[in-house]
Amino acid sequence: MKLRHAVLLAVAVLMMLVWTFPVLWGLLTSLKTERDVLAYPPTVIFEPTAGNYRDVLFGATSILPNLVSSVIVSGLTTVLTMLFAIPAAYALSRLDLPFKRASGFYVLATQMLPPVGLVIPYFLLLRRIGWTDTYQGLVLVYLTFALPFAIWLLVSYFEEIPREMEEAALLDRAGRWRALWHVILPQARGGIAVTLIFVFLNSWNEFLFAVVLGGNTVRTVTVAMFNFISLEQTQWARLAAAAMVGMAPVIALGLIAQRHIVKGLTVGAVKGGARR
Amino acid sequence: MTAARVQLSGIVKRHGAVTALAGIDLEIQAGEFFSLLGPSGSGKTTTLRILAGLEAADAGTVHVNGEDVTLLEPGARDVAMVFQSYALYPHMTVGENIAFPLRMSGVAPQEISRSVKEAAEKVRIAHLLERKPGQLSGGQQQRCALARAIVRKPALFLLDEPLSNLDAKLRIETRVELKRLQRALNVTAVYVTHDQEEALSLSDRLAVFMDGRIVQMGTPEEVFSRPATVAVAGFLGNPPMNLLPARLDEGVAKVESFSFPVPTLKHLGTKDVVLGIRPSGVRLSQDGLPATVAMSEALGEEFYADVAVGELLVRARVKERPAERAQVRLQLDEAGLHVFDRASGLRL
Amino acid sequence: MRGERRFALALFLPALLLLLVTTTLPLVYLLWTSVQRVDLSMPWLSGFAGLENYAKLGGDRRFWSSLWLTFVYTGTTVALQVVVGLGLALLVMQVRLGQGLLRVAAILPIVLAPVVAGLFWRSLVLAPDFGILDFATRALGLGSFNWLGDPQLALVSVIAIHTWQWTPFAFLVLLASLAALPPDIYEAARLDRAGPWQRFWHITLPLLRPAIVIVVILRMVTALSAFAAIFAATGGGPGSATEILNLYAYRLSFTELNLGYGAAVATVLLFLTLAVSFGLFVFRKTR
Repeated sequence: MKLRHAVLLAVAVLMMLVWTFPVLWGLLTSLKTERDVLAYPPTVIFEPTAGNYRDVLFGATSILPNLVSSVIVSGLTTVLTMLFAIPAAYALSRLDLPFKRASGFYVLATQMLPPVGLVIPYFLLLRRIGWTDTYQGLVLVYLTFALPFAIWLLVSYFEEIPREMEEAALLDRAGRWRALWHVILPQARGGIAVTLIFVFLNSWNEFLFAVVLGGNTVRTVTVAMFNFISLEQTQWARLAAAAMVGMAPVIALGLIAQRHIVKGLTVGAVKGGARR
Repeated sequence: MTAARVQLSGIVKRHGAVTALAGIDLEIQAGEFFSLLGPSGSGKTTTLRILAGLEAADAGTVHVNGEDVTLLEPGARDVAMVFQSYALYPHMTVGENIAFPLRMSGVAPQEISRSVKEAAEKVRIAHLLERKPGQLSGGQQQRCALARAIVRKPALFLLDEPLSNLDAKLRIETRVELKRLQRALNVTAVYVTHDQEEALSLSDRLAVFMDGRIVQMGTPEEVFSRPATVAVAGFLGNPPMNLLPARLDEGVAKVESFSFPVPTLKHLGTKDVVLGIRPSGVRLSQDGLPATVAMSEALGEEFYADVAVGELLVRARVKERPAERAQVRLQLDEAGLHVFDRASGLRL
Repeated sequence: MRGERRFALALFLPALLLLLVTTTLPLVYLLWTSVQRVDLSMPWLSGFAGLENYAKLGGDRRFWSSLWLTFVYTGTTVALQVVVGLGLALLVMQVRLGQGLLRVAAILPIVLAPVVAGLFWRSLVLAPDFGILDFATRALGLGSFNWLGDPQLALVSVIAIHTWQWTPFAFLVLLASLAALPPDIYEAARLDRAGPWQRFWHITLPLLRPAIVIVVILRMVTALSAFAAIFAATGGGPGSATEILNLYAYRLSFTELNLGYGAAVATVLLFLTLAVSFGLFVFRKTR
């Protein structure tokens, strides 16, 4: 019994190492000099340097402008998405919406589209109206994955609120809008926060749209990191530092939303949209 | 504020292929305490929700004080409701919950705080106004829901099984209080319940629902003493009435293979019927139907005896506990007999 | 009620219109593009091509190989994720200690941008000479491998990267489902003398079936649209050894600038994905 327990624990610890290793090793690497990076065998004991961080933040290849781009694109996407998704999700989950089932399936289907199928027409269309390498262009494209996702995640949260809540509010003469504003939204605060986090996270991590439809004006942090590798060969330490900086926000958000991650990941599959 | 007079005519409600309500006609007088009583799925809650405007009827009209409100939104009808789950807003304090309907009606702030205090005092939760619903006991939550319903002095007060989530003792206390409150406010109350004891003790009048229809309407005494159908007879009373299939033949009733004279039923001629008799109307005696005591249970001062008459089990309420398996004879109190047509189930 | 319907439409229509414009319209344009000759390196040739692009697919060896790679990549990554994820979840259920810590560790790969996952593996793990895996194999006396340079190994590598990043997903979902199973049925099964294996086969697995189906479908959709990690690790190479349909459509459109043909490949992928999503719809309906 004891032995079995020890084996189980060992496997669990091993798994934990496997999952955290690349990030932890990246953290170590980012504190090494390029010379230490290439040392063989790889060292864990070295003199840490903040030089890589100084370079990627303030040097010639600073990623600060890219961080700004990412913040603008992800921020705008998140705000717009929530603005459209909250009312839509509410209608889909709680109201007598005509063609409700079909509408729910449509939203779910749009969430499943392969991005490469969208990036080709968008490349041609945005070029035609001069929106490539613009914030409005990229945000528009980001809505294609953010909006369906947010709608479905919010539907699952709205469905958790007892139906009597609106009914009581209607009888209390709130009317539909004020019932939504004063009674439903305050109770859905947690779900809205989680949705917000996920939308931001997905937008921040996006790569394909950003690399094709961005450019010199709008270059997000994911694209910038990729460029490290193709332009300045084998500057691994700097790349690691850039990755640490670029990923810090999503890692932080992921830890905050940790307990809700399962729900966020299975969105749309569990239930919803078909009741009533 | 005056109490409302309510009139439902020809209300039909379908859920897909299922007919939930098959034509409900109902008139409730101003100031009345009216119960909708029935087993679950009988349509009583749907009727209440249509009255509140929370659901639309497929046919029929709802009138309040003579005005057609069938198409009005819930907020536009002068009704308040206490939900079975109470439906308190979890993110608001008790005070904010009670204030909510007034805020939504655009009442001035000073007026709101005065009314909230008054309503809270009426149900004795004035000391809890700062709490959130989650911090209240079940009974306190129930009172908070009541206060939220009475605060804007509605003309019509709807209650959907408001006591079902309370424990037995609290339920009886609250029952008395509900009635007192209704009388003090002089408001029409419509009360949905599946608990016959509640309905019988609270109501001025009640309607018994079965399978989407009203099968009987009247005062508690009328409904209890003259059930209109076999189904109502079997539903009301605790324990329920004994129902014995019998054949009447010119003043002689035959139950199983035993015959006994019932002169008062001679006018019915020859007929297949169901005889109903409450346990209090069955006596163990020296002569009458031969029977065997199957089981008996103590009730405190009295006993119930389940006795077998042929294949039938009859329950009698008796003063002395009979021995199990004892051979006895049964007398049915003729005045307590209810006679129903076997085919239609209707009272004869 | 009438008011409710109008209100519901007022809330839903803006999002619906936005989705129509941002997703469905471009897809129509994708289909349109796929029957056009759109080659930005030879713009003078542009024009309607009918089914020419699709006809070309039939004789395109690179297309068939990339379709095959898509199946291999999707099949193996999903199977690995489910098997490893389920195994780990079962195992972790028995370890009370440190479950929380493991859950936190599990979300780290998930929140990482796929492009970063690809870059990290390419540099820190798989790179010759200083990658940690290379060090390990050399230390074990197995010699050095060119993980991303050899066609076979490159495919194994990109499968490993995807599996590494997304197994935590399967693990977390299945762990949550396992934790939600009522303990009393296991006690009942024990009283009925079911051994551990029998309990797994006859109780755990059937009860987990819905969760497993969800994981399989969602993971398939993700695998079918995988791009950034492979792009960052191998760029589809060496040659076209790791070029799944996504990568092929991208390279055709944005490296070779033959967008019409790229659109045809993307359309094939689109229908493949829709077929899988249809599985999800059927599954939702049956519940």
